[in-house]
Amino acid sequence: MSKRFAGVVTLGVAAALALSACGGESGGGDGGGADKAAGGSVTLKLVAADYGDGPTADNSGEKFWKGVVDEFQAANSGIKVEVQVINWNDIDTQVATMVQNGQMPDILQTGDYSGFVKDGLLYKVDEVLSPNTQSDLLEKFAEFGKVDGTAYGIPFVSSARALFYNKDLFAKAGISEPPKTWDELKADAEKLKKAGVSQPFGLPLGQEEAQGESFLWFMGNGGGYKDASGQWAIDSPQNVETFTFLKELHAAGLTTPNPGTKDRKTVWEDFAAGKVGMVNGGPMSMPIFEKGGLTNYGVAAIPGKSGPLETTLGVEDWIMAFNKNGHQEEIKKFFDFFYSSSAAQKISDTYKLLPVTKSGIEKLSGDEKLKPFLDALPNATFYPFTDPKWSEVNTQIKQTIGGAVTGDPAKVLGAIQKVATAG
Amino acid sequence: MTATETSPVAAPSRAASAGPARRLPRTRTVLVAAAAYLIAFIFLFPYLVMILTALRPQAELREPAYLPTDFAWENFVNFWSGGLSGNLLITLQVAAGSTILVLLVALPAAYYTARHRFRGRTAFLILVLVTQMFQPTAMLVGIYREFSQLGLVDSIWSLILVNGGFNLAFAVWILNAYFGSIPRELEEAAFIDGTGRFGALFRITLPLAAPGVVTALIFTFIAAWNEFVVALTLTTSPEQQPLTVRLNSFIGQYQVDWQNLFAGSVIATVPVIILFALIERKVVSGLTAGSIK
Amino acid sequence: MQQTSPLTRAARALAPLAWTGPAIVLIAVVVVWPVVAMIQSSFLKISRFGVVQGSNGTANYAKLFDEPDFPGVMARSVIWVVAVVAITILLSLALAQLFNQRFPGRRLARWAMIAPWAASVLMTAIIFKWMLDPEVGLLNMVRRDLGLIDALGGADADQLGQAATAMPWLIAVAVFVSLPFTTYALLAGLSTIPAEVYEAAKTDGASRLRTYWSITLPLLRPALTVATLINVMNVFNNFPIIWVMTHGQPGYSTATSTIFMFILKGSDIGESAAMSVVNFGMVIVLVAIFLKVSKWKNEVS
Repeated sequence: MSKRFAGVVTLGVAAALALSACGGESGGGDGGGADKAAGGSVTLKLVAADYGDGPTADNSGEKFWKGVVDEFQAANSGIKVEVQVINWNDIDTQVATMVQNGQMPDILQTGDYSGFVKDGLLYKVDEVLSPNTQSDLLEKFAEFGKVDGTAYGIPFVSSARALFYNKDLFAKAGISEPPKTWDELKADAEKLKKAGVSQPFGLPLGQEEAQGESFLWFMGNGGGYKDASGQWAIDSPQNVETFTFLKELHAAGLTTPNPGTKDRKTVWEDFAAGKVGMVNGGPMSMPIFEKGGLTNYGVAAIPGKSGPLETTLGVEDWIMAFNKNGHQEEIKKFFDFFYSSSAAQKISDTYKLLPVTKSGIEKLSGDEKLKPFLDALPNATFYPFTDPKWSEVNTQIKQTIGGAVTGDPAKVLGAIQKVATAG
Repeated sequence: MTATETSPVAAPSRAASAGPARRLPRTRTVLVAAAAYLIAFIFLFPYLVMILTALRPQAELREPAYLPTDFAWENFVNFWSGGLSGNLLITLQVAAGSTILVLLVALPAAYYTARHRFRGRTAFLILVLVTQMFQPTAMLVGIYREFSQLGLVDSIWSLILVNGGFNLAFAVWILNAYFGSIPRELEEAAFIDGTGRFGALFRITLPLAAPGVVTALIFTFIAAWNEFVVALTLTTSPEQQPLTVRLNSFIGQYQVDWQNLFAGSVIATVPVIILFALIERKVVSGLTAGSIK
Repeated sequence: MQQTSPLTRAARALAPLAWTGPAIVLIAVVVVWPVVAMIQSSFLKISRFGVVQGSNGTANYAKLFDEPDFPGVMARSVIWVVAVVAITILLSLALAQLFNQRFPGRRLARWAMIAPWAASVLMTAIIFKWMLDPEVGLLNMVRRDLGLIDALGGADADQLGQAATAMPWLIAVAVFVSLPFTTYALLAGLSTIPAEVYEAAKTDGASRLRTYWSITLPLLRPALTVATLINVMNVFNNFPIIWVMTHGQPGYSTATSTIFMFILKGSDIGESAAMSVVNFGMVIVLVAIFLKVSKWKNEVS
């Protein structure tokens, strides 16, 4: 029987192979098309990432966008906007599904635009954004929306990083001010450890945010993912030195245990619960810390090897327009409305994200808590995400870079560099 | 699975779950019972933790304490106010739809293969076995390329089809075994009595096969109820998502809404446990036929 | 075979198709089609967002076999399946024996065992990760109170942080969720053994252990075969447990081939499809080996 079984299995596999060989290519269905609703009005489909805390939360993305859309529709009677909010974990998969299905949204707001450019799916920024709005965008930010000199991605919101420290724990350990250099950081961490803090420095190098945390540390030693000439330099001597320092820190028990498996969410939760002395965070972490019961924290520039960082990691999220359904005019109206209305400020207020326009920064300049971040924005450094290799490199960083803290830094970083420079 | 019809298989006894009738000495019974209760508790333990966590107030989540100091019942209320009841309904529709699909498709196939020998019978049964080896998780890329070509993305029909298709193998296998274990003489006697072929099938064979049917049904239902990965890939709009996928959105970008996640999970799990408990005995006798073949 | 129904020859020839046709169609549409699409994809160049950019020959496979982590991942997958299934079967044999005894409250105890089966594996994995949290995990609090670890939050309390301690936990959770089905299948097997057989053994003066070894186990073989087969297929393809608890980390040191495939899906869909195809091959080989070793033929026909 088992022989016959094996025979049939072999046959089945062979048949499947044959079928697939002649099945050929069949791209996504045609879907889409200009879906004109009754009365000649146009429906724009907008897909956006959820900056809030999920569907039941007061700050859910659905509620935020509903407010924006209601206001827009009241002013533009011929245009309806249909919003779909997707959480950050799933948005890439789900958008991929839509694209394969040929059911592109008209407008997409997410963390990256560059992947769509190569496939020719996007409108150029010039086609959907008025010159006035364009000139209000921060130049450095808009610059990153370009692929080969043409802009496709429109900056949507941004964020920056700084060092958060727990003032109560610092007082308990007898530390008067936040560290400015790596040596001070190590000394402070030792004091915190003696004072019974289980994670003196919160170090999330697990798959969720390893690329961000590592980048901040690289910067502290004049390193980064690419060198000044734009070549990948992940295993540069500075970067290896950086991870060698982190390795010592970890070996001395001064960080989160096994950083290569820890997510930022967990480490922030622990910081909010008073179990972590210092952690890198952004404006968006403030509400989380406060919700978790920690209000007595301080914010400072991130310590570097010999002094605090003059730059910081800037993170930009994007909004973009798909050309498939041909709603260029309507999209343009919506974008101009969005950037001129109070919507952008509402995002900053609700989610503690930073604006990407000059006017937006001006409006927020009164907010004391955000000041360190707003000051750092113009100097921000970004991930090399316009490089077509970045997505693959990023996957590899997220999965493996934490190993450099327990294993051999040169070897681990070298393996990632190999992925970046392959083919 | 490919047993011949002449294999001497007795109909499962009605008292199948009673086990060998042996009188045990008293102290032994006590020991056995104690061990069994302890094990039962271990099996329940994680879910008790889940309920307790769901009842913790936000501020106590990162406190190492065995019990919450006060119980936040509102976490369960949030489930309904957050509109997740609609997703619960989707889950119910998908699970019920797949179960019905599986029964409609598997019953005739299993009955016929158990009662008749025909060309291609072995091939069919092996095809079914091979199906069991392919799990949707391993073929997501293929599944979503297919359903996007069919234009069925973001529809509960695609979920019903996929869940039905991948659970078909188990149902055919159990039902085939069960039908095979029912003596054909019973059916033939009714047939000769003038009940007619289908009459005999519906009045005699199906009722006798009830445990098998129930087992196949509960398997499909539970699998479809808890399915996550395919639904995550095939549904995009929040109101079309089953509860498993929707609950996942409590895992936010910067933090996890643990209590609501756990409260939702408890709500999703309880109906299944109750359903299962109701038919537990039938499952054992249903599996009995499956396991002796 | 006696043919009692008065069907015409033509109808007789078509009858099997009428009865099994729907099942064949469903399998073709839901299982065979994606398998074909999958195999197709493994030879295509596909952009990150799923747009097909043309044929890629066998480059996806070449890239996959070239991954430095590939051999480790494959070896781990086999160890994972063998360990989980073997432990599950051994524990289930014991549990089935226990739950087959008569004792008050047996039905309730059996119900409790259903919980891991009824709950979604995803949630079970999440709750285990929660219980193993180094700072507030219940299991770590118990370990601290028992004096097994000095304090919460340190490396000692971080069982999921290193492959050496994470792997046993992952296996334990996989066993935990596999036990209900397996135990139920074996309970069903036990219930088919007639009581007379045991009484005969008793009159012969056979010891308990001997009775179990030479009567119960052989009679359980069919149930064992089926339970093992189903477990092998399910465990091999299991995804949520490792994904939730360790994400295959640190590095790829706790990743199985299914997890690896999923991570690849994020950066190279074609390579991920190639991994799936290799995965299919592995399951078929594992099942074939198992069937050969278990002398499936003798048991089943």
